[in-house]
Amino acid sequence: MTDSYRLGIDIGGTFSDFALVDDADGAIRVEKVLTSAHAPEESVMRGIGDLSGAIPDLLGRTSGVIHATTLVTNTILERKGAKTGLLTTEGFRDILELAREVRYDIYDMFIRLPEPLVPRRLRLGVPERVLADGAVLLPLDEAAVRQAAAVFREEGVGAVAVSFLHSYRNSVHERRAAEILREELPAVTVSLSHEVHPEPKEYERTSTTVLDAYVKGVAEGYLERLAEGLAGRGYRERLFVMLSNGGTATVETAKRVPVQIVESGPAAGVEAAAYFGRLAGIDSLLSFDMGGTTAKLCIVENGRAARTRSYEVDRQHRFKAGSGLPAAVPVYDLLEIGAGGGSIARVDDLGLIRVGPDSAGSAPGPACYGLGGAAPTVTDADLLLGYLNPGYFLGGRMALDRAAAEQAVGKHLAEATGLTTLEAAAGVHEIVNENMAAAARIYVAEKGKAPSELSLVAFGGAGPVHAAGLARKLGCPRLVVPPHSGVMSSLGLLAAPVAFERSRAVRQILEAVDLAALEAGFRALEAEAGELMPDGAAIVRRSVDLRYSGQDYPLEVEVAAPCDTPMTKGDWEARFEALYRSHYGKVDDDNPVELASIRVHVSQPPPALALARPPATADAPPKAWRDIHISPGAGMERAPVYERAELRIGQEIVGPAVIEEPESTTVIGPGDRLRVDPLGCLAVDLVIHRPAASDDDANETPRPAALGRP
Amino acid sequence: MQLDPVTIQILWNRLITIVDEAATGLMRTAYTPSVKEYHDFCCALFDADARMLSHSTVTTAGFLGIVPEVLRNFIAKYPPETLRPGDAIITNDPWIASGHLIDISIAAPIFHGGRIVGYTLCIVHHLDMGGRMSTLESKDMYEEGLKIPILKLYDEGRLNETVFDFMRANIRVPDKVLGDVRAQLVANNVCSRGLKALLEEYRLDGLEALGAEVIDRTESSLRRKIAALPDGSYRNVAVLPKVPGCDDEVVVKIDVTVAGDGITVDYSGSSGEVGAAINCSYNMTRSYTAYPVKLALDPHVPNNDGGLRPIEVIAPEGTIVNSRPPAATWGRTMISHLFPEIVFATMEAVMPESILASNGGCPANEVYLHGRHADGRSFLAIAQHSGGFGASARHDGYACLCFPNNTRNIPVEVTENEARMYYVRKELRTDSGGPGRNRGGLGQEIEFAILDGGNEGARDVESSVRLSGRTEDGPFPVFGRLGGRNGRGSGLWHNGGPVDHGVYRRLAPGDRVRFVLSGGGGYGDPFEREPGRVLADVGQGYVSIESAEEEYGVVIDPATMTVDADATRRLRAPGGPPAK
Repeated sequence: MTDSYRLGIDIGGTFSDFALVDDADGAIRVEKVLTSAHAPEESVMRGIGDLSGAIPDLLGRTSGVIHATTLVTNTILERKGAKTGLLTTEGFRDILELAREVRYDIYDMFIRLPEPLVPRRLRLGVPERVLADGAVLLPLDEAAVRQAAAVFREEGVGAVAVSFLHSYRNSVHERRAAEILREELPAVTVSLSHEVHPEPKEYERTSTTVLDAYVKGVAEGYLERLAEGLAGRGYRERLFVMLSNGGTATVETAKRVPVQIVESGPAAGVEAAAYFGRLAGIDSLLSFDMGGTTAKLCIVENGRAARTRSYEVDRQHRFKAGSGLPAAVPVYDLLEIGAGGGSIARVDDLGLIRVGPDSAGSAPGPACYGLGGAAPTVTDADLLLGYLNPGYFLGGRMALDRAAAEQAVGKHLAEATGLTTLEAAAGVHEIVNENMAAAARIYVAEKGKAPSELSLVAFGGAGPVHAAGLARKLGCPRLVVPPHSGVMSSLGLLAAPVAFERSRAVRQILEAVDLAALEAGFRALEAEAGELMPDGAAIVRRSVDLRYSGQDYPLEVEVAAPCDTPMTKGDWEARFEALYRSHYGKVDDDNPVELASIRVHVSQPPPALALARPPATADAPPKAWRDIHISPGAGMERAPVYERAELRIGQEIVGPAVIEEPESTTVIGPGDRLRVDPLGCLAVDLVIHRPAASDDDANETPRPAALGRP
Repeated sequence: MQLDPVTIQILWNRLITIVDEAATGLMRTAYTPSVKEYHDFCCALFDADARMLSHSTVTTAGFLGIVPEVLRNFIAKYPPETLRPGDAIITNDPWIASGHLIDISIAAPIFHGGRIVGYTLCIVHHLDMGGRMSTLESKDMYEEGLKIPILKLYDEGRLNETVFDFMRANIRVPDKVLGDVRAQLVANNVCSRGLKALLEEYRLDGLEALGAEVIDRTESSLRRKIAALPDGSYRNVAVLPKVPGCDDEVVVKIDVTVAGDGITVDYSGSSGEVGAAINCSYNMTRSYTAYPVKLALDPHVPNNDGGLRPIEVIAPEGTIVNSRPPAATWGRTMISHLFPEIVFATMEAVMPESILASNGGCPANEVYLHGRHADGRSFLAIAQHSGGFGASARHDGYACLCFPNNTRNIPVEVTENEARMYYVRKELRTDSGGPGRNRGGLGQEIEFAILDGGNEGARDVESSVRLSGRTEDGPFPVFGRLGGRNGRGSGLWHNGGPVDHGVYRRLAPGDRVRFVLSGGGGYGDPFEREPGRVLADVGQGYVSIESAEEEYGVVIDPATMTVDADATRRLRAPGGPPAK
C-alpha cells in the first residue's frame, strides 16, 4: 500500500479526541471516546480500534502519531505524583514553602495557598554555595548528599528535585549531586533546576523543578505504555508529543522534562485556530475556546501564538495570579477566564448582576438541563434569548427545559434587580461577554496589539454562541467558526507546522554590539534549528528582544537578514521606539537601548488538510424561524435558523441568523455577513461601530523629528 | 445616559481593568526590583470631581486612604481650569501625599471632548530620595532627603527639566529612580488611554453618573455591614515598642464607636510627635484604620472612595498619628502597620470570627544595602522578608506571609545580583508560631554576609535592617487572640552581637548580619487543638515534640511518632498536670 495516514490524539479529562488525516487526499476522519481516568492509554487503544474498523492495519500505514494530554496537569491537581524529595543549598530548604510571601488578594484575610508538593521533612539542605557571578564559595559536601540520599531511601521517595542557588549560572554542584543521587538511588528519577528552568529567582525555579520531579514517573510510565501499545498494534514510526508552546517533541524529549507538556491540549487548540485562520487568509487572530467552565483566549500574530513563561498550576483561586504553583516553562500565553456555559449568575451585595467565575459544570449543570441545578447560568440565559434550540442541544440528545431556565433567571436575577426576565437574561449574556472582553483587552494590550487588527476564531460548545458579541465588544472586525469545533485540539495536532525556535541571550547595549559577530550568531542559530528540520524547505524568521537598559521586560521586534549593515542599529532602535510608544505612550529618553537576546524561528509550511464535505448545489433555505434577542434596545426579532451541514460552500447569510450544528450554535447580529468558505468555515464580517482612541495628552516631550541615523 | 444594573457592572469592571492595565505598564517598564518584584505602588483612576473610582488590585494596603487625598491636594494647588492636556503633577510631600519622602506621586488630568473627565494617579515607593537614606534616626524631614513640592513635571507635554535636574543632583542612583519615575508616567498614559477608549465606546461624555453609582453602592454596602454590628464604644490602649535611640514613649489610644451605619475611630490621647522617623501623617493613619474595617466587613467590594465614607478617623494634630511638618516620617509604618491589629484587638469581643491574631512580621521588615561593586558601580538594594501570619477562627496562619502591607519578597538571587553580599540562610523557625487551637504561622531566620569587592577604599557596605521592634517580653509582643498564645522570636545580630534595628551601620567584607522575624499569634486555646493536627505539625518540623507537650498538652511517642492518647487526656484534663 502506498497510502499513509497521520493521527492526532488529544486526551482530555472527559473525552479523548482523535483526528486522522489521509495524506493521499488530505481527508479527515474524527472520533471521540470517553477517557479512562485510571489508564488513559486504554482510551487511546479504544479510539484507534474504532478508527481501524474502516481501515485495516491502520497503525502500520500511519507515518506519524502526535499526542496531547492533560495527564500531567491532572497528576498535579489530584496530587497523584511521586513522593518527592527536594535537595537544596543548606539554609534554603524552605524556599518552596516561603514562596513570594505575598497575598494574592489584599482584601481577603482568609485566602488559601496551595500545599507545597514536598513536605518539610523531605526538604533537605546540603552544604554548597555558588555566588551570583558563578564563583564557587563553598564546594559541594558530597557526604551530605549521600546522607540525604539515605533519608530519601528510608522515606521511600520516588523522585528527587535538586535546586541550588545560582545554578542557572554555574551548574557544577547540581550535576555532581545528580551523579551521586543516581548512584545511591538508581530507581529514583532526578530533576535538576538548571535543566528544567535555567533562570534566576529561586522560588520559581525550585517550584518548576519540583513539579517536574513530581510528574516525571507518572509521565514516563504512561508515555512508555502508550508507545508500547502503539507498537503492539503495528505502529513503526516515532511518537511525537505536543509541548505547551505548540512545539513538537519526541517522546524521549517529553519524558526528560515532562512539565513541558502541562498545557499540551490547549496548545493544540490554538494551533488549530491558527491553522484555520491561515487558510482563511488571516494571520493575526484571537483563538477563542469557550466551554462549560472556562473560556480560553490566545493571540496569534503572523501565524505565531503568544508565549509566556509565567504559568501556574493548581491555582487555589482559579483566576487570580499568584494563587497557584509556578511552572516556569514555555507555554502558549493563554488567557483563561471563568466564563463558560455553566457560569453561575447572581445578584451581589451591590445589587448588581455578577456572572462566574464559579460554574455549575455538567452536574448539576444549568437549570435548563433539568438535572437538579437551580442557579441561573449563561446557558439558561442563552436559551431564553432564543440563541439555543431546546430540541437540538447536542444534536437533540439532551432536551433543554425552557421553563426551568425562566424560573431560575426570574427568581434569582429579575426579582432582585427589578428587570424583566428577558432583560435579566440579556444582562447575563452581556456581562459574560464583557467579562471576557475586559480580560481580553488587557491581554491584547499587553501584547502590543489592537483588537481591531485581529479576527476572532471561535470554537468550543459555547464559543460560537458568544463570539459575535465578544468580537463586537472588542472591535474585532471578523469572526471565523471552523468546522469540527468539538475536536479542535486533535485537529490542531495535525495542523501544527513542524517548527523549532532557538535563541541566545546577548544583554549588551545596542550601540556597543558588534554586528559582524551578531550576524555570525544568527547564522549559527539558523544552522542549529535547520538541522532539526526533517527536510530542507523551511521558513526562517529572525527577531530581537529589545528593552531599555535596566528593565526586565523586552519587546520582540522582527528583523531582516543580514544584520551587519550600517542601517541596522538605527532601524532596530526606531522600530523598538515605535513599538514601545504604541504600548506605553512614550519613550525613555535617558537610558540606552539594550539587546536582550536574538531569536531564530524555523518552520515548515503548514500541512494541508482537506475536510470532507457533502456537495451542495444550491443555497440551503432556513430550516426554521424563531425569535432571538437582538440588543437591549431592539428586543426580540424573528430570525432564520440554518442547519450548518446543509449549507453550500460559498453560501452567504446576512444576520440576524442562527446556524445550528450538533456541537454548537453560531449566532450573528443584524447586518453581519456570513459566508461559508471552501473549508466549511463560517467566515463573518461583523458590523462594528468604534472610533479610534486619541492619545493627545500623553506625557512626552516633543522629540526632534530627525531621528534617523546615517 | 440611564445606567441600568447591567451597564454599571460592565463599566465598573472596566474602570478596574484600566488601572490594572496601568499597573502592568508600570511593572513592565520599571527599572528597580522595588517596583518589579516588591510591588510597593498603586495606580488609581478618578472622576472629574476627584473622587477615586478604581484602584489597582496589585498594590499595598497603605495607599487605601491616601490616594483620594493626594489628588484633592493636587487640585487645590492646580485647579482644573489651569490644567491642560499633557500636564503631569508631581510631589513627594509626606503631608500632601503618602506620608514619607521616598514615595513619589504623579497625577495627570484626562481630557476628552475638550474637558477634564477624570484624573490618573500613580504612587511608587522609590529606592532613594537622598538624605540619610532609610533610617529611624532622622530627627526631622530635612535629614530625610529631597522634598519635591507640588510642581508640574510636564507642562502641556513638555518636561520640566529642572525637576529632573534637582533629583539627579540629590539622589544616589538617579538613572534607576528617574527610570521608575518614567514608568509612573507610562502608567498614567495607559490609564488615560483606557478611560478615553471606554468613554468613546459607550458614547459617554463623562463619569459623573457612573461615579455616583460606583461610590454610592460601595458606601451603602459597607454601611449595611456596619449596621449589623451592635452599637457601642470600644476602647484600647497600646504601649508600643521603643524605637532605638529615642526615649519617647509611644502610646496609641483608640476609641472605636459603632453608631448605626457608621464607625468613628478616635485616636485622641495618643502620644505626641517624636524625634525619630516614625511619625504618621493623617492620611497614613486613615489608610491603615479603614483597611481592617474593610477586611472584616466588606472584603469583596472593589476599593473606591465610597468605602471610606462610613469611617470617620479622628486624630488630633501634633500627635504621632497626625504629625506636622517637619516631623521625620521615613519609618511611619513602625506605627501605622499596627493599626489593623489594634483595631482587631479592640473589636475582638464584637466580631471574633472576623479578625486575625498578630502578624509576626508587622511592622514590616526592610533591609537596605548601599555600596560599590568591584568595578566602581554604586548599588543600592532593598530587600524585605515577612513573619508568620496570624491565626484566625478559620485557619492556621501561613508561614511568612505579608500583613498588613502586601509586598512580595525580593528573591535571594535578585538581591545577590544587585548587591555585593550573599545570604547564608533563609529558613523557617520551628516553634515560632504562637500556639493556639489554630496555630500562628512560622516566622523565619535570615542571615547574610558581605563579600569582598577587592577594591581598596570602597570595601565596606552601609546597611540598615529594620525589624518590628517587638519582643516576647516587651510591652507589645506578637499577640495571640481568644486564648491563643503569642508568636515567638525576634532580634538582630551583627557578627554574633545583638544590635539596634532600623539604623545604618558599616559592614566590612566577611561581616555577618542575622535577624529573626517572629511567628504569628495563635487563635483559641491550644489545648483545644486536635491531637492529630499537633502530630502533623511535629512530623513537618513546624512544632517540636517538647512544645507539643508543653504548649498543646499532646504527648507524642518519638519512637513511633504517634499520639499517646491516655497521657494526652491526663495532661489536658481540667486540674490535670499543669503545663511545665
